[in-house]
Amino acid sequence: MANANGGAYSYSLTVFSPSGKLVQIEHALAAVAQGTTSLGIKASNGIVIATEKKASSILVDDSMLDKVAVVCPNIGIVYSGMGPDFRVLIGKARKSAQAYWKMYGEYPPTRVLTQELAAVMQQATQSGGVRPYGVSLLVAGWDITRGPTLHQVDPSGSFWAWKASAIGKNMVNAKTFLEKRYNDDISLEDAIHTALLTLKEGFEGQMTEKTIEIGIITVPSAGELEEEKPGERPKPTFRKLSEEEVRDYLAL
Amino acid sequence: MEILSYLNACGGHRLLTRIPPSFDMSVPSVHLASGFDFSNQIRNNFLAERGIPLPKATSTGTTIVGCLFKDGIVLGADTRATEGDIVADKNCEKIHYITENIRCCGAGTAADTEFTTAMISSNMELHALWTGRKPRVVTAMTMLKQTLFKYQGQIGAALVLGGVDSAGPHLFTIHPHGSTDKLPFVTMGSGSLAAMAVFESGWKPNMDRAEALQLVKDAIFAGIFNDLGSGSNVDACIITATSTEMLRNVEMPNQRAEKENKYEFKRGTTAWKKEEVRSLITSEQVTLIGVGDESMDTS
Amino acid sequence: MEYNGGSVVAMVGKDCVAIACDLRLGNQALGVSSNFPKIFPITDRIYLGMSGLATDLETLRERFRFRVNMYTIKEEREIEPQTFAHLVSSTLYEHRFGPYFIEPVIAGLSKTPSGDLKPFIAAADLIGCLNFAKDFVVSGTASAKIYGLAEALWEPDLEPEDLFETISQTLMNAVDRDAFSGWGCLVHVLTKDKVITRTLKSRMD
Repeated sequence: MANANGGAYSYSLTVFSPSGKLVQIEHALAAVAQGTTSLGIKASNGIVIATEKKASSILVDDSMLDKVAVVCPNIGIVYSGMGPDFRVLIGKARKSAQAYWKMYGEYPPTRVLTQELAAVMQQATQSGGVRPYGVSLLVAGWDITRGPTLHQVDPSGSFWAWKASAIGKNMVNAKTFLEKRYNDDISLEDAIHTALLTLKEGFEGQMTEKTIEIGIITVPSAGELEEEKPGERPKPTFRKLSEEEVRDYLAL
Repeated sequence: MEILSYLNACGGHRLLTRIPPSFDMSVPSVHLASGFDFSNQIRNNFLAERGIPLPKATSTGTTIVGCLFKDGIVLGADTRATEGDIVADKNCEKIHYITENIRCCGAGTAADTEFTTAMISSNMELHALWTGRKPRVVTAMTMLKQTLFKYQGQIGAALVLGGVDSAGPHLFTIHPHGSTDKLPFVTMGSGSLAAMAVFESGWKPNMDRAEALQLVKDAIFAGIFNDLGSGSNVDACIITATSTEMLRNVEMPNQRAEKENKYEFKRGTTAWKKEEVRSLITSEQVTLIGVGDESMDTS
Repeated sequence: MEYNGGSVVAMVGKDCVAIACDLRLGNQALGVSSNFPKIFPITDRIYLGMSGLATDLETLRERFRFRVNMYTIKEEREIEPQTFAHLVSSTLYEHRFGPYFIEPVIAGLSKTPSGDLKPFIAAADLIGCLNFAKDFVVSGTASAKIYGLAEALWEPDLEPEDLFETISQTLMNAVDRDAFSGWGCLVHVLTKDKVITRTLKSRMD
């Protein structure tokens, strides 16, 4: 294992190196670290997840780029790392959420969905003929038992709950910044501004509604929860901000 | 310190059960294959041969209708569910949610209409998330007819599907075998003839909202009062390009009359042999240790 | 349904619910046991009653016990009555083309968002079509008779003790006119702080 590129243990994924590492997982983390920065902040009355999105060329039609994804009405995900891998995971996440809905008549709590995704990602670290997913995820969701929660999932399949976290290229600086800025009773509005300020650190180029994507969890009030109309669905708690809304936040 | 608490005990007989594949912990459940389990069928056929028939499932005798008007679609349904000759539910909901702008009325085997529409609603949501567009009525219609055709009429769902999308208002009927119709006014269920009689005489193109709603109510009334499989109240749903209005129990022509007498029994009427009270309050007794001179050494 | 016999009923009261069953187990016309309860606790605040084929009753009871335990462990929370009702319903519908001969009745107290407890009852047919009634739900060989009695005897907002009388009289008088049900009755009344279980003194013929 003296070799810098991992030597004999770098290709066979299911074999530990003598030092107890699965080198492919570390490579996957390196792939994540090359991805654009994403972050999430839990506020007292909601959660914000935000990311910078960069097209590789000005010729790319950036209206097709989507980095913040809706899983189900109460859960949204943002990622850093490899786009195609994320698209596979989001497909599985949505199917899992719908399977849960069909079984229990309600959408899964954030932690259950996170666990499910983490299990999929873990599976790729000990199966034959596959590689780990090259993404880290920030899962923001709201459920009746635990309220708003923010989880991070890594390629190894490990996951934690966070008050605020960052992943991707600028994660170290962003986390230091968030540690300084964060307090427990920050409001959602403030959290959105903090998220934009954090992204601004080390942002290459211009921050516009085309290069920033934001998703928010809003906590429903007791009154909203109490009134249940027949034949209607409860209002979604997660939504993506429109380009106009992002522009307004950037202008402030 | 003594703590008294109740644990939830469900002891008694034990029976070995097959652990369902969905709980094989080595596979994350996102890979779960959905579908029907036919494992009881051999047993049930055997029981049927021995003269033990299949119990009756709830069916919705039902009058369900839909009609096109100037700004969109009005759907209507009665609220009776029957189990043979018994009214099993006097106020059930037969207008099912598909998406925000699409709804579906169901007649036939109640469980089939419930689960088929729920499955299509779920698929429509996935479809909308993937495509990033507002779902279309034809998409729901195609999904439904393909599902029903696949099961060759074994899934007993007769549906009226209506909604407004980017291509305008649409109204379909879907039969249990998978055939579909697209018409400006439709009826389904055991009360369909009564309701169609009202539509045939009263429907005209370009009605306004109030006219259309009244016509739908009248059609459902015809079912409620003339068809024994239909009854109780009227549910309606008005879908336009901008809004969906679910009018649950818009008309309640069969309210129970005030009971003249109350049959409340005097406490103690019923004799019992044994009583067991399970308290759900956890009581704790805290015994303080080292009070007085021999105070605890905290150094 | 008539093979083993048996009936279950559940009713809503004021901040309480009651669920009751008969105790007969038969082999068609032959009575086999007079101590065969058909109601089981799922959590502290959910009781599940099932009538129908006794073998399926046992199978499903174990299945639901397993499913609810898995849910509790995985989600680290107790299952709510509505959620449990959907679980029962989807389990039964999975067996749409080869059903269990069971009609379940669920009674429980569900938590509202503000933390209060609200009465909840539901019943399903053998393939899982849910019926959320506001007053009472029934199942079993005496269901037609229970419907009639409950329709006449049930009143809204009964206190736990009054609800006990109403559900007991409803069930007992109905099963006395049903050859396949009877041989004793069991009643559970769920309130906010306790569950009262009583075995009724009834006709044994």
